Amino acid sequence: MVRRSGVLLKKVAAGISSRLAEILVCPLTKQPLRMCDKTNSLISDSIGVSYPIVDGIPRLVPSDGIILHSDQDLNSSDPPQTNSS
Amino acid sequence: MATTLQFALPSIAGRRRRPDSRSINRPVRCAADRQALFNRIAPVYDNLNDLFSLGRHRVWKRMTVSWSGVKEGDTVLDVCCGSGDLAFLLSEKVGITGKLRFEGVIAMKFDQTDSYLTEALCLELVEFWQDLRVIALDFSREQLQIAASRQSERSKACYKNIEWIEGDAVELPFSKSSFDAATIGYGLRNIVDRRKAMEEMYKVLKPGSKVSILDFNKSTSSLNSSIQDWMIDYIVVPIASGYGLANEYHYLKNSIKEYLTGNELEKLAGEVGFSEAKFYEIGAGFMGNLVATR
Repeated sequence: MVRRSGVLLKKVAAGISSRLAEILVCPLTKQPLRMCDKTNSLISDSIGVSYPIVDGIPRLVPSDGIILHSDQDLNSSDPPQTNSS
Repeated sequence: MATTLQFALPSIAGRRRRPDSRSINRPVRCAADRQALFNRIAPVYDNLNDLFSLGRHRVWKRMTVSWSGVKEGDTVLDVCCGSGDLAFLLSEKVGITGKLRFEGVIAMKFDQTDSYLTEALCLELVEFWQDLRVIALDFSREQLQIAASRQSERSKACYKNIEWIEGDAVELPFSKSSFDAATIGYGLRNIVDRRKAMEEMYKVLKPGSKVSILDFNKSTSSLNSSIQDWMIDYIVVPIASGYGLANEYHYLKNSIKEYLTGNELEKLAGEVGFSEAKFYEIGAGFMGNLVATR
């Protein structure tokens, strides 16, 4: 008997897959990005820029990046995701 | 982005744009101009490709995919994906796999009467991890929206393994050595800094992997060039004018003239670092495909 965890499946579908989040890097620094579930964006901590995800499509053209002006902006996002594979 | 630009179709809503005489001869030089151009033609792009190539672009794209060396299980990249033609073909080749993670309890029971061991499983699906297979990138938001719509309309499971990314071919947002194969369909000609794009492609490919690049052929044959020019001037642009997209298709002719010949493309690939590069003329010499090995 298998029951599906609806909450978890919904979580995976909301943003982008964790596997995709692993392969993506900041287009400017080529450093890893951090997925932020609260803002549904990818954070480049090295330069303090947030790249939005809209309708499941990450916007990673450099000009799409939004500068995070304060430590609060940076800290308001989720802590770094660990690899759950 | 798959910028075949073989035909200019009028806007899908039937609205007519009055030609801007100030911009008829304005070159589409910068990346922003080209991005805007492909956003404008996005609604009619697929139909135009079919109409002007009489469906042949589908054959050429299959050849491009074949030349990329893609095989089942690979992780592949399509740059300048446009509305997704090459991405869909790539996804059919790589297939779909995934992992399910369960947590639960296994309860075991003995049926003493018949000495049978019975067991009951109670499992809860806690994670579905779909393997990444095809990443498709373009800088046109409108083209990507069309690609995503086409994906949702299609029923084959393998099409679900495509991820769409809005990005710039000269600033690829991928780790080094990430991909087993790559393609670009009618995109390299439209990139302002082609050397940078080739350098980015080189970095994200795994050693030994190939990039397969399809585009119009800037022919060294004066006959071929003349025929190409004639078709654009007397078929493409007049039809485009009827749709208010004449300027967009004037761009096509200039972009071919400013593109690189097959030999020049092979030379560029070698300068960037590819170990091998071979250019194939196809489509009666009007199209060409560069295959470069990392």
